Amino acid sequence: MPSASFRAGAREGFLAFLPLSVGLVPWAMVTGMAMVGAGFTPVQAMGMNFIVFAGTAQLGTLPLIVAGVPLWLIVVTALALNLRFVIFSAAIAPGFRGAALPMRWFAGHLLTDGVFACCLEKMLAVDDSRWRLGYYLAPSIWSWALWQVFTLIGVFAAGVIPKHWSLEFMATIALLMLLVPLARQRPMLVAAAAAGATAVVLRGMPLRLGLIVAIAVGIGAGFAAEHWQDKEEAP
Amino acid sequence: MLWLTFILAGLATTLPRASFIVLGGRVRLPPTLQRALRYAPAAALAAIVVPDVLVVAGDFAPLNPNLAGVSAAVAAALLSRNPWLPFIAGMVALHALRWLPGG
Repeated sequence: MPSASFRAGAREGFLAFLPLSVGLVPWAMVTGMAMVGAGFTPVQAMGMNFIVFAGTAQLGTLPLIVAGVPLWLIVVTALALNLRFVIFSAAIAPGFRGAALPMRWFAGHLLTDGVFACCLEKMLAVDDSRWRLGYYLAPSIWSWALWQVFTLIGVFAAGVIPKHWSLEFMATIALLMLLVPLARQRPMLVAAAAAGATAVVLRGMPLRLGLIVAIAVGIGAGFAAEHWQDKEEAP
Repeated sequence: MLWLTFILAGLATTLPRASFIVLGGRVRLPPTLQRALRYAPAAALAAIVVPDVLVVAGDFAPLNPNLAGVSAAVAAALLSRNPWLPFIAGMVALHALRWLPGG
């Protein structure tokens, strides 16, 4: 039986993430449809979904798999798309002090953009390690389950929904809905604007490496904006 | 071959995610860097989503139906707490502009 503080953390984490998790639904469905569009059988599509469990990496590698490019290029592309997780992992890692090694691997495997954005603040602020673990695991497992279920629905819906509905646009909206609450803080808005502009300028870089550069530029810009804002507010 | 691709892509996902969480206390990032890393999610989300909206077939073309869809979605998110409304508003705006004469 999990401890009371684990359950209290789990409840709070779940409730904090619940409204955001709606954004996963269209994204998962879009990913399911895209995998079927790439020619996967339902078993192959769900196999990829279980093993990779990463919308961006799945959607990003599909065209390469279809084109039959060398395996190493697919792996390098997946790595490039996932490099942001090294940054997320480093940022949230202090929240797992006191957790055992197998639990850390499990938690690491479940790390997603949405859970990270939602949980980071409290994971670093709260002292009780059991509460933190519950606060992280509840939304993580919830989004894992949502992801599997709605990808499966997408796999089977793929043949039914007309292509000209542009369901993939719902993935763009889902990402934006994660961004909007963050961008209410001025330095975050600066970070997002700088990263977005850089990504557009560097869109021609091979292997989508422009994405990595854009993230780095955005972080730098946000940090600079925070520094500047602090200076202005100081007496 | 396909399954090998899945397994390697899976490793290329889980290893970056687990990296610092698994290393834990043995490797520490300096506090300044940690503060800077708070901006990672906003930067990453924007870096993924902005080119999707402003670039059409490799060219910078900001005035396209996607921008209208995104604007409607963001307006809905700012004005309402209903989680579905941005998706509905965004899709409606996208298709309204596409089907407009000359659109």
